[in-house]
Amino acid sequence: MSWHVEPEMLEAYAHTAIDDAHAYSIEAHLVSCGECRAQIATLGDQKELETLWTEINGAITVPTPGIIERGLLRLGVKDHVARLLAATPSLSVSWLGGLILALGFAVTAAHLSSRGFLMFVVLAPLLPLAGVAVAYGPRVDPTYEIGLAAPLSSFHLLLVRASAVLTTSGGLAFVASLALPQKDWAMVTWLIPSLGLTLASLALTSVISPLRAATGLAFVWVSGSALALYYAANTAATAEDLFGGIVQLVMVLVTVASVALLFGRRGSFERGVRH
Amino acid sequence: MMTETRTDRSLLLAVGEGDRSALHELYNRHAPWLMFRLRRRCSDTGMVEEVVQDTFIAVWRKADTYTGAGEVGAWMWGIAIRRLVDHLRRTRNLEPLREDRSATVVSAEDQVLVGVEFGDLAGAIDRLSPELRAVVQATLVDGLTMKEASQLLGIPTGTVKTRMMRARARLREELA
Repeated sequence: MSWHVEPEMLEAYAHTAIDDAHAYSIEAHLVSCGECRAQIATLGDQKELETLWTEINGAITVPTPGIIERGLLRLGVKDHVARLLAATPSLSVSWLGGLILALGFAVTAAHLSSRGFLMFVVLAPLLPLAGVAVAYGPRVDPTYEIGLAAPLSSFHLLLVRASAVLTTSGGLAFVASLALPQKDWAMVTWLIPSLGLTLASLALTSVISPLRAATGLAFVWVSGSALALYYAANTAATAEDLFGGIVQLVMVLVTVASVALLFGRRGSFERGVRH
Repeated sequence: MMTETRTDRSLLLAVGEGDRSALHELYNRHAPWLMFRLRRRCSDTGMVEEVVQDTFIAVWRKADTYTGAGEVGAWMWGIAIRRLVDHLRRTRNLEPLREDRSATVVSAEDQVLVGVEFGDLAGAIDRLSPELRAVVQATLVDGLTMKEASQLLGIPTGTVKTRMMRARARLREELA
């Protein structure tokens, strides 16, 4: 380009000390002239420009979604729900890896001895229980504080996360149960206890902390199972009969009671979960 | 001064692929003049800074919407002036009492109509009243639509139209 704005004119323009007609002609020229743009750039407040760039650079730095979040997005989960789910500690890759490991051991044990099958039935319900316990609450959730201020209600978040944890660990346990030596209905005896224990821990969360609720229930479940096994060893009833009959019935009742309690006390979740 | 080794277009292309340093280079080249130009239209320094910030964030996100037709500078100005319109509209909505007193009109009024004595276009433009000149600037110079101009200046669209007609008539009269 042969024509350029004179330096004095640029300076006058930069200091808003020029009439509009000249300003328009300078502006029209600046749009297409890199040389004059470079010239006027030297007149800018460098410190201000640098500060502004730092802010822009920060604003465009958005964390790239991790593998779980991308998977959820691909499944059609809304982005804010996907972010909340991906931030759930018990939905992390390491947690899921732990689950697979635990289930793998249980399945192997089931193949090695008949008692191993019972071990699987006792263990499988504990996995979602532990998952839900560390899915929500001030101690374990990195987004807990954000969650309290989010437009999504705490109760809603709790349900969303709990069902996500229940589905993943339940799904994994189901896949694992396909590898069990028993190929009958006994394969899924862990299902209703899983549901019952998880919902009971959610309901108890309205009274005590999630970790305490889960620990207490796990203790009750494991000692109850041990008692049942001890009882079975002294009577004609087999352990399979016990877990197939009485335990299932009790767990159905626990599930129903927990759901009722959970929805009855939903308001107490909005003030935050107990520490 | 550093010579412009890469064209604006190739930088914008790189920005579209997520190249942060390309955006920085575009910022270094274009932010200063955009800021000066915005400052002539808005006396609120804080708002001008926010508009520049928004503009480059928009460039980062929408680099791929640049069709390649026209100067990159013109494309950027198109984004910047519309961001300014948005900002001004938002502040006006928050402060309905100041509806008709936009910063741009005030700053235009502040400018003394110097008695340019030659009968050229520049002189004719300068002899327009600040109100008419503001409309000429928003539509002809900044490339806004009547509606956007009305939002920028905080006046009804009908007023923009009548002022535009009056400005045209005045200019024609002066240049005849």
